[in-house]
Amino acid sequence: MKTRLLGALLLLLVAVTQLPAVAAENTEAQKDPVLRAMLEELHRSQSRLKLDNVATPYYIEYRIVELDEYSAEAAFGSLRRENRIQSRILRVVVRVGDYKQDSSIGRGEGLTNVAPLDNDNLALRHALWLATDRAYKQATENFTQKQAQLKQLTIEHPLDDFARVPAVERLAATARLEAPTAPYRDLLLEATALYRRHPKLESVEGRLRFQAVSRYLVTSEGAIVRDGRNSYQLNCGGSTQAEDGMRLERGIQELTSNAKELPAREAWLKRMADMLDSLEQMRIAPLADEEYRGPVLFRPSAAADVVSTLVGRNVLGQRPELGKPARTTGEWSAEYKSRVLPPFLTVKDDPALNSFGGHALLGGYAVDDEGVAGQPITLVDQGRLVSYLTSRQPIRDFPDSNGHGRALPFSWPEAAYSTLVVSATETLSPAELKNKLIEICREKELAYGYIVETLGVRLRPRLLYRVWAKDGREELVRGAVFGELDTRALRSDLLAAGNDATADNSADPVPQSVIVPSLLFEELQVKRANDSKDKLPEYPAPALSSAN
Amino acid sequence: MSSPSRAAFLPLVAFAVLALAPTGASGADPASPPPLLSVMESELHRAQAELGKLDPPPYYLSYTVYDQDFTVIAASQGALLASTQVATRRADVVLHTGSTALDNTHDESRSSGISSGFLPGGDDRDAIARSLWRLTYEQYRKAERALANVKTQTAVRAKEDDDSPDFSQEAPQNSVTPFPARLDLNRTEWEARLRRYSGLFRSHPEVEESAATLLVEDTRSHFVSSEGSRLATPEQVVRLQVMATVRADDGMELLRVETFQAATPEKLPSDAEITARVEKMAADLKALRTAPLAEPATVPALLSGRAAAVFFHEVLGHRLEGHRQRGDDEGQTFTRKVNQAVLPDFLSVADDPTLRQLNGVELAGWYRFDDEGIPARRVEVIQKGILKNFLMSRIPVKNFSQSNGHGRSQGGLMPIGRQGNLIVSSTHSVPDAQIRQQLQAEVRKQGKPYGLYFEDIQGGFTLTSRAAPQAFQVLPVMVWKVYADNRPDELVRGVDIVGTPLAALNRILVTGDTQAVFNGICGAESGQVPVAAAAPAMLFSEIEVQKRAHEHMRPPILPPPGADKAPANGVSR
Repeated sequence: MKTRLLGALLLLLVAVTQLPAVAAENTEAQKDPVLRAMLEELHRSQSRLKLDNVATPYYIEYRIVELDEYSAEAAFGSLRRENRIQSRILRVVVRVGDYKQDSSIGRGEGLTNVAPLDNDNLALRHALWLATDRAYKQATENFTQKQAQLKQLTIEHPLDDFARVPAVERLAATARLEAPTAPYRDLLLEATALYRRHPKLESVEGRLRFQAVSRYLVTSEGAIVRDGRNSYQLNCGGSTQAEDGMRLERGIQELTSNAKELPAREAWLKRMADMLDSLEQMRIAPLADEEYRGPVLFRPSAAADVVSTLVGRNVLGQRPELGKPARTTGEWSAEYKSRVLPPFLTVKDDPALNSFGGHALLGGYAVDDEGVAGQPITLVDQGRLVSYLTSRQPIRDFPDSNGHGRALPFSWPEAAYSTLVVSATETLSPAELKNKLIEICREKELAYGYIVETLGVRLRPRLLYRVWAKDGREELVRGAVFGELDTRALRSDLLAAGNDATADNSADPVPQSVIVPSLLFEELQVKRANDSKDKLPEYPAPALSSAN
Repeated sequence: MSSPSRAAFLPLVAFAVLALAPTGASGADPASPPPLLSVMESELHRAQAELGKLDPPPYYLSYTVYDQDFTVIAASQGALLASTQVATRRADVVLHTGSTALDNTHDESRSSGISSGFLPGGDDRDAIARSLWRLTYEQYRKAERALANVKTQTAVRAKEDDDSPDFSQEAPQNSVTPFPARLDLNRTEWEARLRRYSGLFRSHPEVEESAATLLVEDTRSHFVSSEGSRLATPEQVVRLQVMATVRADDGMELLRVETFQAATPEKLPSDAEITARVEKMAADLKALRTAPLAEPATVPALLSGRAAAVFFHEVLGHRLEGHRQRGDDEGQTFTRKVNQAVLPDFLSVADDPTLRQLNGVELAGWYRFDDEGIPARRVEVIQKGILKNFLMSRIPVKNFSQSNGHGRSQGGLMPIGRQGNLIVSSTHSVPDAQIRQQLQAEVRKQGKPYGLYFEDIQGGFTLTSRAAPQAFQVLPVMVWKVYADNRPDELVRGVDIVGTPLAALNRILVTGDTQAVFNGICGAESGQVPVAAAAPAMLFSEIEVQKRAHEHMRPPILPPPGADKAPANGVSR
């Protein structure tokens, strides 16, 4: 009796100690047909993939991304495209060598292909098998080439090629589309039909993209990840020309991971109508002066673009080409531990953040695309650059991944931010910021200052207002660009931040968010854009029929 | 400046390219002209009147709108890879300015003749008209800029050999063919069928890549021009394609492709026939994988009808395309050979896009009107060996001032003279059953140890540009050595036919008595167009073959997962 009890206890102990390695594979993961096929093929490759006289792989990774996407496009109130696509994309990485020095050449390693949509074990494994075989052969060739290349270079700062990480197991639910498509498609039609009130507009278009993205990842190190995410995107825009031929564009967007946050019909139509009105106003708005140097206030939407471009790109731990001594490819490569922002600002990145101010954030995740748990990182501490966002490709002084390796379904992972949060030790209300702007104008004897609401491509202002110092009146202007809106300006010319931090989501290239308040620059150059102006259309638009 | 004109003829279809849009206009009353046509017409007239006031005015303007329903289903190894249905409405706006003698499309500036874009679906006249308006003034600007350049260049450069005009004068066409109901495809059933066909390769572990793809294109073309043409033309086509590859031990990848084409899904071959053809592909590939390599040689050769058809498409057909007879970059093999013998006198060649079927096989190069709105026409290009004509678009060449309905392009590109259905016929033939013996007789006569029988061919390409050698290459797949003694025929692999066109064509001794059809997609400067070529089997006194350059990647290290008999390793089972 006694001995038998003891036996059972022992068995239990054994089972518990083995749990992390075996349990997931044999139970939960094995129940998932995709993971099961991936694990089966992974184990077969791990134990038996070997070419004569060539090293065996030290690392194998399988990733399958399943995409369910509905998209639609409308112009002038009519549907132009509508489509639903389901696809699975597989990506196989095989590395030979070791963590210190391996076959990875820049961004070259890895193989991508389409994978079966059916959960057919043999078909899934067949696709993985072929990709693994090719990836392994490619890796052995790359390894030889790389060693030859390394012999010709003097490496100033030797770095490992691949960071070691603990194996993460995370089995979350896959994603499915949770928003009905027809009502939003109809909303797109209704919104773009508003062009009828604005016969001078040359184009009025709208786009809809709803995605459910499920991800499966297994590695030879033991990582097993399955999860899903959604994004729902609704865009409308218009373009026109001013009488002098200047091209004018505006757009509105809603982008969220939560279907419930998609806009209501009335709200969207109101935004659309306002946007089209503002385009009309822009047509007749005065041109910006040739030259201005003075205070500029960026409202949160515009500030978000500034931060994602000038901060977001420069905190990435992306390693330069083989042999190049720089720490990263960004402008803050040599700024580690130096001041990059005014001391009142701190910047963090937090993948665990899922919402802000009641709005879902797109940038959040638990595990990155290299199977590493996302970690919150303070990047700029009271103005000083203290860290970078890293993937598994080590950079100088940062040998480890902090869980920021992100990838497009068909592409290699690279360091990317998740949710950048800019916070300030002292803040002003939007009204106080405007007063401050006017105050500076008076000090500098300027007749007006600028407030920028939204930016377009390459940080060019879209909605830009002149604020008259004498009475605070705001006047829309067009045709301006910033001179010297760069990292130097960010470090030296930022004067104050607002208490109005707002979240801004973006879907490309990977889902990301930025949380930024209004930012007031003490001095920036604003110039008249030096664009050639298109001709106005050679003949008028067709008259609208009365039938509609 | 001299990008070589490289024309490829391959039966490969990519299924990944999906430009997508909603179903266009409706199955309205088939008897009345489609509403889209009237919107196009009124907007065209407005543009004509308004742009006519400008300097330079356009002298030609046309709108083509393709309403296309497109379905793709693809499967591999018994599982679905993709299944999508999309609809697009795409417009091509073509505008010529200057004069027919010299306009914006002259020579290298040809692409300035066209702008394209997607149009809104549905019948909303205002939305369609506005989109056409934008495309039209953008196209006018492009043409205007190009004309200025053309005029400067013409003034600076020496006079061209062929001073034909840039655009031919043609009579307007008016033809509204009622649109049939949209093709009704049972997607679920076809998904199951494609899973089944692609799954047949599971029992053939030597097959690496394989896929079965069904493409259904249902197009309603609408065309109006400032010359008064007004056309509505339906086109429906279903293509089933099965591909598979194996890799020989030396790394050579071997590909087999089977294409089935029909006007409707029901007209495709039966399930049993498709299954048999797929099994035959697998068996062929298995044999090919271990077949010995062919060595370079010049020997008598027999081309099967399909192989001869591809050979003629590449070697002859591309060189008969009208625009290749002018332009300084072209090799102009046949330009000065009109009314001279270019083939043995028992051979005649016609290109006949009006032919829908041949020997019970639907022809891929069938159409009613070409992409310039000119009616398709049968053109006798070579009669009894004598060169008589070229395949003409509206680009005139010396002594050939009119189109003969061969101006073809993929949407968005300017049409040029292209092949439709190239038909080779012979008056000197023997029954097919006897032609292999004729090959053997020729081999013995020449005292050679063997000849080659080209049973099937996967495609080819040809270079017609002056900068490149006037060469061609066809890519045979199933090639047999036929020995002078009575040893059994031996399958060989890695053979490419090479040579120069004129010499090769005059070595044809005799043909078989039935024409076989090769349906495929032909790529050239004006994009991908469906074509067919048909020819009887042909015996050549000699053909030069070379070794095919190939990759040296070894076959997969592990057996495919379904065929791995080794005990499972590691924790999973």
